[in-house]
Amino acid sequence: MALHMEPADTERTQLKTPLYQWHLDHNGTMAEFGSYLLPLWYTNGAKAEHLAVLSTAGLFDTSHMSFIILQGPASFDLLQNFFSRDLSKWGKNKDTPLPVGRAVYGVFLNSEGCLLDDAIVFRVAQNTYFICVNAGKGPLITNHLRSQQGQYTLTDLSGALCKIDLQGPHSAKILATILDDPKAIFSAFPFFSCKGTLAPHFTTEIAVATRSGVPLLLSRSGYTGEFGFELFTEADQGQVLWEEIFAAGQSFGLMPCGLAARDSLRTGAGLPLAGHDIGSWPFVNNPWLFSLPQDSSTGKFSKDFVGAQALLRPEASFTYPFAGYDLRKIDRDLATVYNLTGEKLGRVLTCVTDMAIGRVDGRLVSINSPGLPEGFAPRGLCCGFLLTSSKLSYGERVIVQDERRKFEVEIVETIRPDCSAVLPLNQFIRV
Amino acid sequence: MKEVNLLYFPPELFYTKTHEWAKDGETITIGITDYAQNLLGDIVYVELPEVGSTLTRGEELGTVESVKAVSEIYAPVSGEVVQINEALADNPALVNQKCYTDGWFLKVKAADSEELKTLLDKAAYFTTLTGE
Repeated sequence: MALHMEPADTERTQLKTPLYQWHLDHNGTMAEFGSYLLPLWYTNGAKAEHLAVLSTAGLFDTSHMSFIILQGPASFDLLQNFFSRDLSKWGKNKDTPLPVGRAVYGVFLNSEGCLLDDAIVFRVAQNTYFICVNAGKGPLITNHLRSQQGQYTLTDLSGALCKIDLQGPHSAKILATILDDPKAIFSAFPFFSCKGTLAPHFTTEIAVATRSGVPLLLSRSGYTGEFGFELFTEADQGQVLWEEIFAAGQSFGLMPCGLAARDSLRTGAGLPLAGHDIGSWPFVNNPWLFSLPQDSSTGKFSKDFVGAQALLRPEASFTYPFAGYDLRKIDRDLATVYNLTGEKLGRVLTCVTDMAIGRVDGRLVSINSPGLPEGFAPRGLCCGFLLTSSKLSYGERVIVQDERRKFEVEIVETIRPDCSAVLPLNQFIRV
Repeated sequence: MKEVNLLYFPPELFYTKTHEWAKDGETITIGITDYAQNLLGDIVYVELPEVGSTLTRGEELGTVESVKAVSEIYAPVSGEVVQINEALADNPALVNQKCYTDGWFLKVKAADSEELKTLLDKAAYFTTLTGE
């Protein structure tokens, strides 16, 4: 058979996270991603790992991400000029600045309106922002920001931190067993908020540490679409923190998870992978336009920022999520999209199998959807994103085809329904 | 994944460089090796030819779809497909769990009974994996 995947060549000079040896010791099947050697999956396999995040909890090493600290009085203006979100208009009514302890997802664009990278920006103090970007993108984004002068400092902490994602319904219960004073931490802790410290760089109003004394920044966020947390700590504390969570999680069904499950979970949740689903084409007509500073009352942007003008030009490129009718995938690199009469529409950006979804009477459901038929056990559906040159409608069927396979998929607004990420914390733990 | 020397390769089987195994008998049973299933990870779908179809050695006979990739399976010998493993349709994970027994793919009536002997033995296959 043709394996189309070779085991990672561990002799080459690839980057290793602080948890690299742990992955090897736990039989992680390693592969290179963003120059880092990371596990694709462990002995339970990607399917079990994917399902664990919906039913118990999963633990991910995401230390390959890049981290930037922006400090100083000009920080706000710098982000207003370069980042796509309007940090002066936050909240349901978009009438307050992003508060300390809150975070937003957005993008950095070039002047042509094309993606440099996507990012989560955390406001961690009055004039301090913690920015999490993709693997290897630290220098790109810091150089981009430095093109504007002002009273600020930029610190690229890539490689200096350990980032651990704990995702799934039991995440809070697991953390409660290892955190010092979990009650204080978990009270008033909504989605996209953070607490804790990244000493010596900053401390938010509430310190967060494990009972064993590991200080950390704890954020109620993640990239799986499910309830959970992202934890940041200094690289040399990473293994202790990971082992503590892993040990505490054993009685909650916690599973270590690799890149494959991360990819299938984020796709099912409708989240883009930078470089695949958003990239070197204008950031328009896609499912992630909430990243732009749209003012719903005027229909215009509420601020100007780098790339904004280019986005106003008419552009015939459209990105849609899709879901198929069985679990078979096509090769995204070779796949073309056609309409039902055989006319070429575009190409496939991502195609994976979300193992937690299926269809009931044609309708998409997940294993966490309410009112499922008795004994419902889906085998998963192929899903992903596609880029077309013409506008499509939700519910419309198109054909995806690679060298080997050809099948119909449905253009959908939501791939995996009933994701838990945004649910209130008190649905998962009594606080 | 496991180290190559922790993988299992039964001594009585014949192997290909492309990680299929073949077992001698009244008909020849074909599957994929422990190395292949280990590298592919969770196998979620196996596409096999119909009973009665003809295989040519070295040509594609079907595909194995794992979480990460779709891979072609090549015929280790030429012949006619006399049986396929129906259990894989509902439970493709059998290939991960028992790749040499319950996870077999198909049985072939060989066109040339001597062809099997030209495949790799365990030691030769192992050498292709370790490069030693």
